[in-house]
Amino acid sequence: MNYAIGVFAVLVAVISQVAIMPAFSVFGVQPNLVIVLLVAWMAARGRQEALVLIPIAGFTQGLLDSQPLGLAMLALAPLTLMTDFRELRLVDSEILPAIALTMAATVVYESTIMVTLVLTGESVTWLASVTNVLVPAAMANALLLIPVYWLIRISSLDLRQRPAFG
Amino acid sequence: MQVRTRTWFGFVVLASVLFLAASRVALLDPLENAALSVAAPIESGLRSATRPVADFINNITDINRLSNENVSLREENERLTAENALLTEAEQELRDLQGFLELRGIREGDSFVQADVFGTGPSNTLQVIAINRGSRDGIAENMLVLSPQGSVIGTISRVLADAAWVTLVTDQTSAISALIQESRAQGVVAGSADGTLDMEFVEETADVKEGDLVLTSGLGGDHPPGELIGRVIEVERAPQQLFQEVRVQPLADLTRLETVLVLSSFMPQDQATP
Repeated sequence: MNYAIGVFAVLVAVISQVAIMPAFSVFGVQPNLVIVLLVAWMAARGRQEALVLIPIAGFTQGLLDSQPLGLAMLALAPLTLMTDFRELRLVDSEILPAIALTMAATVVYESTIMVTLVLTGESVTWLASVTNVLVPAAMANALLLIPVYWLIRISSLDLRQRPAFG
Repeated sequence: MQVRTRTWFGFVVLASVLFLAASRVALLDPLENAALSVAAPIESGLRSATRPVADFINNITDINRLSNENVSLREENERLTAENALLTEAEQELRDLQGFLELRGIREGDSFVQADVFGTGPSNTLQVIAINRGSRDGIAENMLVLSPQGSVIGTISRVLADAAWVTLVTDQTSAISALIQESRAQGVVAGSADGTLDMEFVEETADVKEGDLVLTSGLGGDHPPGELIGRVIEVERAPQQLFQEVRVQPLADLTRLETVLVLSSFMPQDQATP
């Protein structure tokens, strides 16, 4: 697996996110396949590749979403800092920190969009947004991470011998 | 935290800010337009292909809700049938109905641009859809967007040459001046974070009941009057409150939109040419 496959996966995820994911709601929200893919890629393939894919995903998503180009990239940028967290290996598992990172990345992503709305003069109901959007979205993405992580992991020949939980 | 990661983070943030600045002066609109033009047919194809699968999964998970909805729809159908029979019999009520039709206009003077929905916003915070018509087709920001059946679904929030984004009425930034058709009570229909629709600022004394129709009032000149938004599904009155809490259900199913009509003949007051 190389960068080209990663970029292709990001493109598929971005297009699927705007075309398909709204039809599949979990906990009343649509999972964010792009965030999930980036975190799963980071967990299964390492920081090096993830660092390259994050801005590409942000740029591509910016081209296809309703927001100004650059906002999606800005909202995904904190993921680059989270790659260090993965390298710390605080627990003897790859998927558990990945689940935590997915939830954190989701909160940061949606919060960035909300802060932007506030900065552009729109009103945001923070409490309702947290309870109805942030928390369910974080949980939905954490659920989606598991199959995506395993898909990337079994596709990575060089990682097949490494146990995910030990 | 490693220096290299921080440097990369700084680079990504800087690039984001540069893109945002360029986007603010529409420098990159042609690039976004080209990307959307290429992606639109792919997204449309994917939406069509996965619709049956999504429906199947959602129906399984929503079986209780669908069952309850079926019961309430049957009841509503029965009530509406009885109401319709009464309307047919009563001349006065028939005149009211004709008045309503005149208020909405027979649409002879209105012009529409038909557009296909090919995408949805990736964030849960924003309730937006993408359509395959843009400024080249005469679409401008703030134009009202209707379902093919004629109820309001949202307004145009961003326009590119060949595509546009529609902010749905359920989005938390959406607010439309509205009135209850029966009692003429005024208010503002606003979206919320959880994607539901509320009519705010309805006076506590106003006669509002479940089933009442909610129309645009035209107040403020942002939208034409008399466009159907939805139906009142819940009314809550608290003794100490100045306003009632009125929950509204859009008539169109906003999760299954495939085609929409952009009302191109009405321009908001602040955009209309003098």
